[in-house]
Amino acid sequence: MIVIDRVCKSKSRTQILREVSFEARPGRVTGFLGPNGAGKTSTLRVLLGLDRAASGTALVNGRPYAGWPRPLTTVGAALDGSGAHRARSARAHLRWVATSNGLPLSRADEVLDLVGLTGDARKRAGKFSLGMSRRLGLAAALLGDPPVLVLDEPVNGLDPAGIRWMRDFLRRSAAEGRTVLLSSHLMGELAEIADDVVVIDKGSVVARGTLAEVTGEHSTLEDAFFALTGEVERPWS
Amino acid sequence: MVLTIRAELRKLLGLPTARVGVILGVLIAPLLVTVNAPATRESIADGTLGDPTDLGFRNLGIGLLGALILGVVSVSSEYTSTGDDSPGARQLTATLTAVPHRIRLLTAKATALVLVVAAQGLITAAATLALTEVVHGDAVPAPSAARVAGAILYWVLITLLAFAITLIARNGVITLTVLILNSSVVSVSYLLYKVTPLAAYLPDIVGPHMFIRSMDLSVRIPPVTAGLVMTAWVAAFLILAAWLFQRRDT
Repeated sequence: MIVIDRVCKSKSRTQILREVSFEARPGRVTGFLGPNGAGKTSTLRVLLGLDRAASGTALVNGRPYAGWPRPLTTVGAALDGSGAHRARSARAHLRWVATSNGLPLSRADEVLDLVGLTGDARKRAGKFSLGMSRRLGLAAALLGDPPVLVLDEPVNGLDPAGIRWMRDFLRRSAAEGRTVLLSSHLMGELAEIADDVVVIDKGSVVARGTLAEVTGEHSTLEDAFFALTGEVERPWS
Repeated sequence: MVLTIRAELRKLLGLPTARVGVILGVLIAPLLVTVNAPATRESIADGTLGDPTDLGFRNLGIGLLGALILGVVSVSSEYTSTGDDSPGARQLTATLTAVPHRIRLLTAKATALVLVVAAQGLITAAATLALTEVVHGDAVPAPSAARVAGAILYWVLITLLAFAITLIARNGVITLTVLILNSSVVSVSYLLYKVTPLAAYLPDIVGPHMFIRSMDLSVRIPPVTAGLVMTAWVAAFLILAAWLFQRRDT
C-alpha cells in the first residue's frame, strides 16, 4: 500500500508538485499518467526518498521509504536506466545490491533468470541496450521479492516482446497481491494494464479512480486524458 | 551497518578504476626506490640528501596517488552517467534505494575506503621501507614504527579528503585535477606559504610533518600536532560534505 498525502515540492522557484495525493492499493496495478514534465518522476523520487518534499508525506506500508531498514524486501523500485555503473557486470551490480540488504548472493542469478538476462550476466552494464538496461533495473527491484513495486516508465525502450512480457509480469504481480505503481505517458499501454489510474498535469493530480471512472464518458483513456489535461493534440503545430 | 560496509567494499573493489588505484598505489613507491637508487646513492655520497631517514618516506608520498584515485572513485562512480540512453541516470539512485539512510551510507562508504586504503598503505609502507633498506643498506637507518604509522595515517587522511571534496563537487575530475596539480605541478599551498606562514597549516603541507623530518619549510611542526591539525581539516571537510549530501536532492 502506497499513500501519498499532499506532497508539495519546488525546484528553482518553480512549484513542480502541488498537494499531490493518491493511493496505490495491494492486488492492483495503479497507473500514474501524465505528459512529460508533469511531475510523475518527481513524485516517485519523493516517494523513494531520493528527493525531498517541501511538505506532505509519502508512505509505503505505513512508513516512509527511508524508515525501512532493508527497504528492498518491502519495495522494489526501478527508475530511469539500470542503476549499474557502466564498468560493472550485471551480476556484480546485483550482488552488491543484494549484499546491502542482507540478501543471499544467489538471488542475483535468480532475478537475472527472471528477467531473461542469464546469458548477459557477465556483460558490462555499459554495453547493454536500452531494453536490457530496463530489465536489469527491474531485476534489481525484484531482488528482495518485495510486496510493493514502483516502476518509472517500465515499457520505455522495450521491444514488442519485452512490452508483452512486462505487461504479463505486472498483471501477475498484482494477481499475487502485490501493490504495483507504474508511471507512463503511454495511454494505450496503460489502459491495457492498469486497474486504477491517477492523472497528473503541471504538478497537480487532475483525476484519480478506477480505469472506468477516469475514462468516464470518453471513448478511450486517451480522450479522457486530453480532456483532463487540456493538452492540444498537436502541440508542435 | 556491517551489511552496508560489506556492500560498499564489494562495490568499490569491483570497479576497474579502483583496482588500478589499488595496484598503482602499491607499486609506485617501491618502483621509485628501485629506479632512483643510483641517483640516491650519489647524493648520499655527496652528502646532499638531507635527512637519510626520510628517504623511503618521500617515495611513499608519491605512491599516495593510488590511494587518491580510490578516494575519488568511491564517490565519483556514484555520479557518472550509467549510459548514453539515459544520461541522467546514475548509480547513486540504486545506492540510495538500497540504503536510503544517507549518513549511514556515507559512514559505510568511508569505512570501506579506510579499510582498503589502510591495508594498501601498510603493505606499501612495509614494501617500500624494506626495499629502501635492501637497496641502500646501512646508509639509511631503520624507520621508527611511529613514523610508519604517521605515513599510513597520512594516506588515509588524504584519501578521505579526496572523498569529501568529490562528494562536495559531485565530480571526480575536479578533485583529481586540483589534488594532482597541487601535489605535482604547482603547489598552491606552497605558494600561499610564501605569502603567509600560516599556510604551513594547510592540510597537504601540514600532513607530511607526521613522517618527514626535513621539510622545505622554516616552520617546524611536531608530528602529533601535524596529525591533529590534518585530522581536523579532514573532519571539517567530511562534515561539510555529509551536510550537503544529507540536504541535497540526488
